[in-house]
Amino acid sequence: MANEEICAKIKEMLVENLRIPEDELEYDSELFGDDIGLDSIDSIEIIAGIDNLFGVQMTGAARENFQSINTLAKYVEDHKE
Amino acid sequence: MNNSDNRRVVVTGLGLVCGLGDNVAECFGSAVNGVTGIREVKSVNTDGCYANLGAEAKITSDKLSGEDFDRSSLLCIKAAAEALADAKYEITPENSARIGVIVGNCVGGAASIDKYFTDELKNSGGKTTDILKMPASAIANNVALHFGLNGTTANIVNACAAGTISIAYACDLIRAGKADAFCAGGSDSFSSLAFAGFHALHALDENPCSPFNNSHGITLGEGAGILIVESYEHAKARGARIYCEILGSGVSSDAHHITAPRPDGEGQMLAINRAIANSGLKPEDIDYVNAHGTGTAKNDEAEFLSLHTIFDNSDKLSVSSTKSMTGHCLGAAGSIEAVLTVKAVCENVLPPTIGYTEENLETLKEKAGKIDFIPNTKREKTINYAASNSFAFGGNNASVVFAKNPKEIPDRTNTERVFVTGIGDYIAKNRIDIQSDDYKDLGIKMAFWRKLDRFSQLMLVSGMKALADAKITVDDNNARDIGIIIGTSDGPMTEIVGFQKNVVENGTASGSAFSFPNTVYNAAGGYFSIFAGIKGYNVTNANGVQAGLQSVCYAADVLRNGDESIMVAAGVDENTEVTEYLYEKLGLLGGKFGLGEGAVSLILETESSANKRGAVKYAELAGYASAHKAVEFGKLKGSESAMKEAIISACENAGIKPEEVDLVCGFADGNSEVDELEKGVLTEIFGENYNYASLKEAVGEARAAGAAQQAAYLAKTLCESDKYKYALAVSFGVGGQYSAVVLKKAV
Repeated sequence: MANEEICAKIKEMLVENLRIPEDELEYDSELFGDDIGLDSIDSIEIIAGIDNLFGVQMTGAARENFQSINTLAKYVEDHKE
Repeated sequence: MNNSDNRRVVVTGLGLVCGLGDNVAECFGSAVNGVTGIREVKSVNTDGCYANLGAEAKITSDKLSGEDFDRSSLLCIKAAAEALADAKYEITPENSARIGVIVGNCVGGAASIDKYFTDELKNSGGKTTDILKMPASAIANNVALHFGLNGTTANIVNACAAGTISIAYACDLIRAGKADAFCAGGSDSFSSLAFAGFHALHALDENPCSPFNNSHGITLGEGAGILIVESYEHAKARGARIYCEILGSGVSSDAHHITAPRPDGEGQMLAINRAIANSGLKPEDIDYVNAHGTGTAKNDEAEFLSLHTIFDNSDKLSVSSTKSMTGHCLGAAGSIEAVLTVKAVCENVLPPTIGYTEENLETLKEKAGKIDFIPNTKREKTINYAASNSFAFGGNNASVVFAKNPKEIPDRTNTERVFVTGIGDYIAKNRIDIQSDDYKDLGIKMAFWRKLDRFSQLMLVSGMKALADAKITVDDNNARDIGIIIGTSDGPMTEIVGFQKNVVENGTASGSAFSFPNTVYNAAGGYFSIFAGIKGYNVTNANGVQAGLQSVCYAADVLRNGDESIMVAAGVDENTEVTEYLYEKLGLLGGKFGLGEGAVSLILETESSANKRGAVKYAELAGYASAHKAVEFGKLKGSESAMKEAIISACENAGIKPEEVDLVCGFADGNSEVDELEKGVLTEIFGENYNYASLKEAVGEARAAGAAQQAAYLAKTLCESDKYKYALAVSFGVGGQYSAVVLKKAV
């Protein structure tokens, strides 16, 4: 389980920036699957949002890191200075 | 008169301003000599951006015409002045109503939106006069007002295909006898909106773009291109010099993705093939294609595939992308490229695509096949037929064919009756309380819905409801026979303002990739075509309140032209905190006037198509007309004659006298200037006693959605009641544009 505080911030950013309804987004929801349905444009927005929030660069990061809020938070934790 | 002559449309004047120069001669001279207009950007702060190049026009706004207009309008006026002078077209009170303005545009008054919110957020407050410069709706009117042109207007806002579609539509209207001539083309000014947006999408090239070569991204440009397109008979009668003929055109939708083209090129090829077939030509006849050629990998790959698929049997095709020198001028691109193509046809010299190194030339040899991509240096050869391609966000594609000599083109005119066979309304006073069931009931999943801004959401619900009401299932058999015309007054202004405020506050490098695709006016039509699977004609027109009724006229023109058999005609406008803020600042809110919002879509269908499907007919579209008397944008007074003309012409078109109209649905909205003008004209035409219906007390001024609702209301009323045979809807646009439609009880 990734850091709750980081997860909450990422969720807030996704809800705000990508118009995902808050009640349909769980920390383990598959972001690029059928339910949430993110695409390549959204991933640009996620990279910018993560950079803004935590100063962590995700450009070029492997695809599996974008799977869910949990995996994003883990990446942030591992790469935060 | 030779029978085929009355369908001939010719080019009699050209005007151009862009990064290559301030006039046609300078621009074409630079283009054929491979001189670039791409330099470091001056008008947008590119701090923190990975790219800083653009092709800005050298002329500063204070050197353009003196009016207090947005730079998009000023550039357009500059090009139109050159074109009208070049055509020696003298505007007189007698002929002014027969020459109109149809111009393409992408970012509207983006430079003024930037200025307003920079003043508002960082300086002493935004100027109210800048608010009237924000919508694309102002541009054609400003051009018309400047030159005293009183023919009909349209602002085609189909992003990067807008300039080409404008020319195509102007030609169609001339062939239909609705005008003698148009200033047709497009304009766009350089803007932080576009720069920040393409930067956010990582779609800008760090170096000058070199399409089909180094497909690393685009370089933005700005400018305006205007062609005087004129009926041959009219040009001949006034002894005009003729540059060339304009033959057929083709417009299509990808129904694929909001920013990326279909990789298989299906939509692009449909537009190109339609243009060639509508010109009575075969692919092998085409000597030159001015490609869309943006320089993004996705465009270049798809267009390369499209060109090879269509033209691989040709031994003589040359292709170039002049964007390698002009940059991508968005809504002006198609018009600038049209001007360069006309010059190429006349002078038998083709501009190159620049930016090839020795190594690039070797690579090109391997992949070019029989197509000559004109690398680096001009090509001199006889050009009899040339096509110009434009493809846009939203998956809109357009192509138009120019010819050196007269050429009879197939007459596809469809004189069948047209019926309203479906209605989808999603409209409310003040603001719609959108519920998830509103879209989920239509089969729209949250994953798709959330990408859409409010403006696009309203359109999608209304459009899908209309298709369902008409019991139309879009499939592989009919997808290409269905088209879309959307009218709007204010466009997706909420998304635009949100994007722009972020850029003003946080810098050009902070643009939102998620939001940017929705800032183009045609995103709503794009999303609708993607979700519904509609692959035919797809145009959005920003032209004031009446755009929602003009969409019915435009859709009927497309049916009459034989392009499609079913059209969705819609009006859409949103009302958010941003809308209310802007209307409040203009001093329009209060008293009896309040805003509404929504979208209303009508399905228009040819009689044979409706009968074949066993469709229920609400009413027949018996007649329609648009008219314009240019007054200042934001005003209406002084344009009464155009309202009268629209109504009288619509009745004539329906084959009836005004006194045969049983019911009028008007546009009074509680604004006293609007209400009094309407009453005065209606009384003049219909006398003191006529049946009048007003819808805006119930829904507020929902602008284009309200205008489309007027037609939908009458269609329903005629269907449900035996009291009326003919009913008329009329609507207005500030600046003096009017549309009217006559509906007839279906029998």
